[in-house]
Amino acid sequence: MQALASNNLTVEKEELISDALPDFASESYKDAYSRINAIVIEGEEEAYANFCDLAKLIPEHADELVRLGKMEKKHMHGFCACGRNLAVKPDMPFAKKFFSRLHNNFLEAFAAGDTTTCLLIQCILIESFAISAYNVYIRVADPFAKRITEGVVQDEYLHLNYGQEWLKANLDSVKKDLMKANKVNLPLIKSMLDEVSNDAEVLHMDKEELMEEFMIAYQDSLLEIGLDNREIARMALAAVI
Amino acid sequence: MFGLIGHSTSFEDAKRKALDLGYDHIAEGDLDVWCTAPPQLVEHVKIVSAIGKTIEGAYIDSCFVPEMLSRFKTARRKVLNAMELAQKKGISITALGGFTSIIFENFNLLQNQKVRNTTLDWQRFTTGNTHTAWVICRQLEQNAPRIGIDLRKSKVAVVGATGDIGSAVCRWLTNRTGVSELLLVARQQKPLLELQSQLGGGRILSLDEALPEADIVIWVASMPKTLEIDPSKIKRPCLMIDGGYPKNLGEKFSGPGIHVLKGGIVQFFKDIGWSMMELAEMENPKREMFACFAEAMILEFENCHTNFSWGRNNITLEKMDFIGQASERHGFSAVGLKSNIQTLTV
Repeated sequence: MQALASNNLTVEKEELISDALPDFASESYKDAYSRINAIVIEGEEEAYANFCDLAKLIPEHADELVRLGKMEKKHMHGFCACGRNLAVKPDMPFAKKFFSRLHNNFLEAFAAGDTTTCLLIQCILIESFAISAYNVYIRVADPFAKRITEGVVQDEYLHLNYGQEWLKANLDSVKKDLMKANKVNLPLIKSMLDEVSNDAEVLHMDKEELMEEFMIAYQDSLLEIGLDNREIARMALAAVI
Repeated sequence: MFGLIGHSTSFEDAKRKALDLGYDHIAEGDLDVWCTAPPQLVEHVKIVSAIGKTIEGAYIDSCFVPEMLSRFKTARRKVLNAMELAQKKGISITALGGFTSIIFENFNLLQNQKVRNTTLDWQRFTTGNTHTAWVICRQLEQNAPRIGIDLRKSKVAVVGATGDIGSAVCRWLTNRTGVSELLLVARQQKPLLELQSQLGGGRILSLDEALPEADIVIWVASMPKTLEIDPSKIKRPCLMIDGGYPKNLGEKFSGPGIHVLKGGIVQFFKDIGWSMMELAEMENPKREMFACFAEAMILEFENCHTNFSWGRNNITLEKMDFIGQASERHGFSAVGLKSNIQTLTV
């Protein structure tokens, strides 16, 4: 469109520099990677278990859900290899604690036979979280992990899509429960992002970008499910306050 | 379908508008929250042209606000994400409005063609600069005589002459309008010399040298906030066409005989049922819009789904002819000075 004096558009030097790849061999990188790598390994492991549980809740789709779950297991092995490739030992106790609140909410919902909440947690929130993190990570990953993650992220869209389609088909009856579950669980995603942001920064993954990527995946998914802009805005508010 | 990617003129405006539209989650957030907000497709619109052709379009707010300009990565994301959304929605031709195309050009976003799992198809986007340049030239041709300026005797200063729009305006004025002399103003000498050579004329001057000589000033570079100009040094009458973004020329120049016109703005021949131009603070938001936005509509009216305006200094006279004729045919006209101006004789 129209012109602007370019001195209004000065690019901060350090911002350009931070587009560069990090030093994968540095101690600080390895230290941060031990937690981030553990998070993705644990996330994929729990996702496998969650899909197996979902197969019990939706027996008519059991085969598909188990198949999706097995993909998560495969991802987990891929990310274990990424850690080994950098000679990093993943900090699994940290990762288990990191996911514990969300995981407990999933298990409680499963015990109560609450399919809506289980799908929201695993297929919408966790998958959106994973997609956003992987999309950001791909740009700054070491070559080995980049290749693995590029393969994984395509699969995660399939996982998100499953929950999306189920919720879309059942929206009339589950809308209220979906919003209620979102109000409880979306803030957990926000606090998880906050918790990991310093380590992510070391990997050159910007917190602001992670959050925006998450919101894009989350918003797209809710739109696809059939919620309107105002409803999505109300749901997304839980991530702000 | 055509698309328009725009944004609010300030953070405060953006918050107000978001509240109106029901986007409470971002309306209540601070600038950091806005930096993480995804682009929003806020409006669909159907438009019938003056010759009866019907098109549909959508307005996408990138959730960028000018306060984010100092955040390079944020600004880049806002533009790319809005473009990705336009493409995902299957929009055939989308204009990059406001700061969007400026960020695209200045931050060299051509190197960021892959956005997540989408490869941006540049053919689907246009800067709209060809139409903007044509409209600015029309505004000059139509309004200068109204305030008593004889184009054949006039000196026209183009500030930002080497830019995409500026250079196109210079080519048009040299070849089509027959002004007395072009005064070329820009920051860098080398491109100025190249332009002068391509035009086969024009005098290279500094801004301070050019202003007292010019009967008409076309600004296609926004002024630095610190710029101070003594109005007594400006010729009377003087037509100033503010083709920059944001449009702040009126704040700098006022006084009898100085006529400031918002450049690159067009008016459609009838009301359009949208609220999107209120975001851009148009005087008549149901009809007025940036010429760059109108370019996407014109291309859609013409079934011309291509990145008509793209890159720098690719605007030819033939392209300006094409877009200008189509613009008039479908019911657009360049916004002019208010009708109650005093006509002077020279």
